[in-house]
Amino acid sequence: MYLTLENITKVFPPRGAAGEVTAVNDVNLDIKKGELVTLLGPSGCGKTTTLRMIAGFEFPTSGRIILDKQDINQLPPHKREMSMVFQSYAIFPHLNVFENIAYGLNVQRLSKAVIKDRVDKVLGLVHLEGYGDRAPTQLSGGQQQRVALARALIMEPKVLLMDEPLSNLDAKLREEMRTEIRRIQKELNITSVYVTHDQIEAMTLSDRIVVMNQGIIEQIGTPVEIYRFPNSKFVADFIGRANFVPGEVQEKIESKLTVKSLGQVIELKNIKREFNKLQAVTLIIRPEMIRIKKAGELFKGVIHRAVYLGDVIEYVVEVCGQLITGLETDPYVMELFPEGEQVTVGFAEGCIQVLPGE
Amino acid sequence: MQTVSSTIEAPTIKSSSLTRRFREFSLIGRDPMLSISLLLSGIFIFVFVVYPLYRSAAGGFISEKGAWDVTYFTRYFDNYYGPALRQSFIDTMEMGILTATAGTLVGFIFAYSIVRCRIPGKRFVHWLALVPTVSPPFALALSMILLFGRNGLISHKILGIEFVKGMNDIYGLDGLVIVQTITFFSVSYLILKAMLERLNPAMEEAGASLGAGRFHLFRTITMPLLIPGIAGSFLLLFVESLADLGNPLFIAGTKTVLSAQIFMAVIGEYNFQKASALSLVLIIPTLAVFLVQRYYVNRRTYISVTGKPAGSQIVEKDPLIRWIFNILAYLIIAFIIVLYVTIIYGSFSTAWGVDFAPTLRHWSMTITRGVEAILDTTFLSAMATPFAAILGMIIAWLVVRKKFTGKSVLDFTSNLGGAVPGTILGIGFILAFNKPPLALAIAIYAILAMFYAQAVGKNSAERIVILILGTALGVGLTRVDARIMYFCLGGLYVAMALIFMLTQRKFSKALITALIGVYVMSTNWAVVLSKPISDFSRSLEKGFWSNAIFQFADYLKVLLQPTPSLLAIALLFAGVILLQGTQGRPFRIGLGMLGLSVACALSFVGIPFAMVGGAYIIMAAFIVRSLPASVRSGVAALQQIDPSIEEASNILGADAQYTFRKVTLPLILPALFAGLIFSFTRHMTSLSAIIFLVSAKWRIVTASILSEWEQGGVGVAAAYSTVIIILVMIAIIVLNLIINKMFKGRGSVDMSQGF
Repeated sequence: MYLTLENITKVFPPRGAAGEVTAVNDVNLDIKKGELVTLLGPSGCGKTTTLRMIAGFEFPTSGRIILDKQDINQLPPHKREMSMVFQSYAIFPHLNVFENIAYGLNVQRLSKAVIKDRVDKVLGLVHLEGYGDRAPTQLSGGQQQRVALARALIMEPKVLLMDEPLSNLDAKLREEMRTEIRRIQKELNITSVYVTHDQIEAMTLSDRIVVMNQGIIEQIGTPVEIYRFPNSKFVADFIGRANFVPGEVQEKIESKLTVKSLGQVIELKNIKREFNKLQAVTLIIRPEMIRIKKAGELFKGVIHRAVYLGDVIEYVVEVCGQLITGLETDPYVMELFPEGEQVTVGFAEGCIQVLPGE
Repeated sequence: MQTVSSTIEAPTIKSSSLTRRFREFSLIGRDPMLSISLLLSGIFIFVFVVYPLYRSAAGGFISEKGAWDVTYFTRYFDNYYGPALRQSFIDTMEMGILTATAGTLVGFIFAYSIVRCRIPGKRFVHWLALVPTVSPPFALALSMILLFGRNGLISHKILGIEFVKGMNDIYGLDGLVIVQTITFFSVSYLILKAMLERLNPAMEEAGASLGAGRFHLFRTITMPLLIPGIAGSFLLLFVESLADLGNPLFIAGTKTVLSAQIFMAVIGEYNFQKASALSLVLIIPTLAVFLVQRYYVNRRTYISVTGKPAGSQIVEKDPLIRWIFNILAYLIIAFIIVLYVTIIYGSFSTAWGVDFAPTLRHWSMTITRGVEAILDTTFLSAMATPFAAILGMIIAWLVVRKKFTGKSVLDFTSNLGGAVPGTILGIGFILAFNKPPLALAIAIYAILAMFYAQAVGKNSAERIVILILGTALGVGLTRVDARIMYFCLGGLYVAMALIFMLTQRKFSKALITALIGVYVMSTNWAVVLSKPISDFSRSLEKGFWSNAIFQFADYLKVLLQPTPSLLAIALLFAGVILLQGTQGRPFRIGLGMLGLSVACALSFVGIPFAMVGGAYIIMAAFIVRSLPASVRSGVAALQQIDPSIEEASNILGADAQYTFRKVTLPLILPALFAGLIFSFTRHMTSLSAIIFLVSAKWRIVTASILSEWEQGGVGVAAAYSTVIIILVMIAIIVLNLIINKMFKGRGSVDMSQGF
């Protein structure tokens, strides 16, 4: 493992009326060389604090951070050989683009020729050729973002840290920069830690996603694992949308699970977890895993609300007293079921995740 | 107050706050720039703010013989002294409240006219409203008397009033309050102007859209939002009024206020116990107001004054109200102009009140006999200015950006020196630095020497060796005969330079070390250098040039002969920076020991910190007085810089020192310049803090104005006042030109931050 966080805890001392705050609680994380890992979670979940501890701006209350087999807990930020892209870009306003990007190399007192060479190369990498002598104020938001990225990349850091770098851009630009960052990261094979609260950003960028909530890690996994097999209601709810349907285990044979739910018995496939008979469980059903037909499906329901969104139709159906959200994705369907219509509802039994407990 | 404010925590959650702090300090120690800044500001504030104020406060309880004595406090309650003392206390409070009320009102009129009434000549009105802040403290009292006094131009000459005993003349509380109002309203104007500008128009528009009438709107929205500003300005003016010494001395007449009583106790009776006791009486209301202002009013502010002004401004729609405000503002402006013109006119008229014929007599006297005071004041003010501004930026940086135990204490005490009445500080300086206890020097040396050893040595053995050997050698060096001592000390530094060059191959460091050595030696050469100059001045015909050149010889001596204890502190810090990263244990120990010994010897030569009568104590008083303004302008500038800009530099490999030099400093340069302007202005016009510190050798113009006035030299006093105003104006214009040239549109000095 290249970068390891070992039992990292961060407690902020009491301030004014607020008591002690445990921002990060016993976090363990292993990051491989060249991997891009995203810390994802709602605001206040401890993701930024974790990133700042890796950078060295905050000191862990306990635990160790190991980079390349060396304990870096005691190293100040400027000796950690990492670089960081900040949410606010933090471009030096008194320096032009070239000077901004060359800053870290100037600190190392490299020769002018070497600096020029490397800056030119990295300017090409972020598609900012010819912008060297512009002042930061003459750049658009997206260009400033590229400067911030270039300034971090030129250091050839051991770890590249990014703290919500795209949150100040408009939606279209954000999409573009997302792919851009991923392209460069893969091209240079830079170990990266990326903090965001935007799940789509996390899904598109990451090798692995770390979902955090209230200072602890809820789940670590690839985007597919996180989406398809969330191991908590929090993760399921935070990444994408999910219906939580209560059920009761009837029987488990190999990977087949028979569950009684919403007044019917259904058989679910590909279930790895072990369950006891009569155990209360929760089925996590994504809206796109729900089929709504006039007739022919297992459950009977009534259309509660129908909204046409263009690419999909979103239905809220009442089944056995519970409201379930489902999406109709078939592009040939033009007619919406009116509200109050009697329908039948079916689930994609092969991809439903089951969690123990209500 | 926070007990722990650190990002640096102990390894386990349960560890006590003590070990947490220890860890914090060891982490601070690892960043030499941070620890030097902390120690430097901490020591300066302790030595020149906290310690003198403590001496001043304690002085009232200790009689001349050194025994516990509360005579001067009990006098407030007896029947002999009591009534008069109590009366003067009541008068003081009355003066404070009246001035604060009137000043806030005038400030509001100006702020409202400028922000909302489209006053014609906006810039002109704005700058004229700030003029009183740059004039010497009693210029306005002087010109009030010239205009409305018993022989005044208006009262006597034009209106023909003959003053007889018992008539209400300009002297007394009424005149005093008028003068103080004009002197101090600028502060109130700036506070309220900032508030009005930052008042979001949407709030009032929202109120109007809900159907509120104009007066209802003003009463229920505008006013409540301005209350913190009005309260803040009232409290500030109250303190300024109480602290004012110049105006009461001139115009209070038969009334005595506390600041003047303190002054008389020192100058008239040379009774420091009485002065200290009175100071304590004065400091209590001042400090109470200061605390209320800092911790109550500032927290109730709904409008952030540091933010940017709201985009559009509401203009007062009723033309009648607009005109009332504009006319009032212009009337006051006219009054201010008349007052200043009178000063200039006064300096040219033969004998005010009797003969108004123009003459150059006062001016020729001012620039021959007075050149010493003018040059001394300018020299000392200018010398102290960069120190005040830089120290202000360092403290601002520590307070805004760094987290450490005791930060709120540093923040509070750095403001204290400017907030307390200057007379109190002046008394404290006399008491503290006349015969300072050796313990002060020992304590400061011990702290710095330990820091030095910790920074230079690599392990505890090395540190102890450096500490013990260096101190021993240093104590030994103090025994050397004074005439050759500085040659020895400087010689040691030159020796260090040689070692640097030969073993470390660091030539720039060697050069700097050698230069320091030569500078230390120059204490012995100073006389040799300055004597020919002073001899030459004596050979000239008596007059401006002879005086000026004679002074120049003095300034050379001041530059070359700093107070040894202060030089020692500077050398310890310089040593830490120079000896960073020295290779090889014997060299580390050797160089470390030599460096420490020089500082040690300097720390204890003669009577350490005995500075009364010298130039450095006046500079220190200047710095203490102007520090809060520089800190404030630095804080305002730093708060507008995104902290991640500094973090970006840090993670790109730059340490704190590099970051400060290459990122923070360029960004706060406008604030630094503003700090320079405020400091210089404050130095040139300060009176109360340094009036007890002037000596035969070091004269200060403001003190000269006072003594000229007391001897009836009205014309000369007016001329001196004019000189100060002109010098300050020149400094402001020059610095503004520099700023405009340096930052073409990229930044400007917000003059309003510092007052």
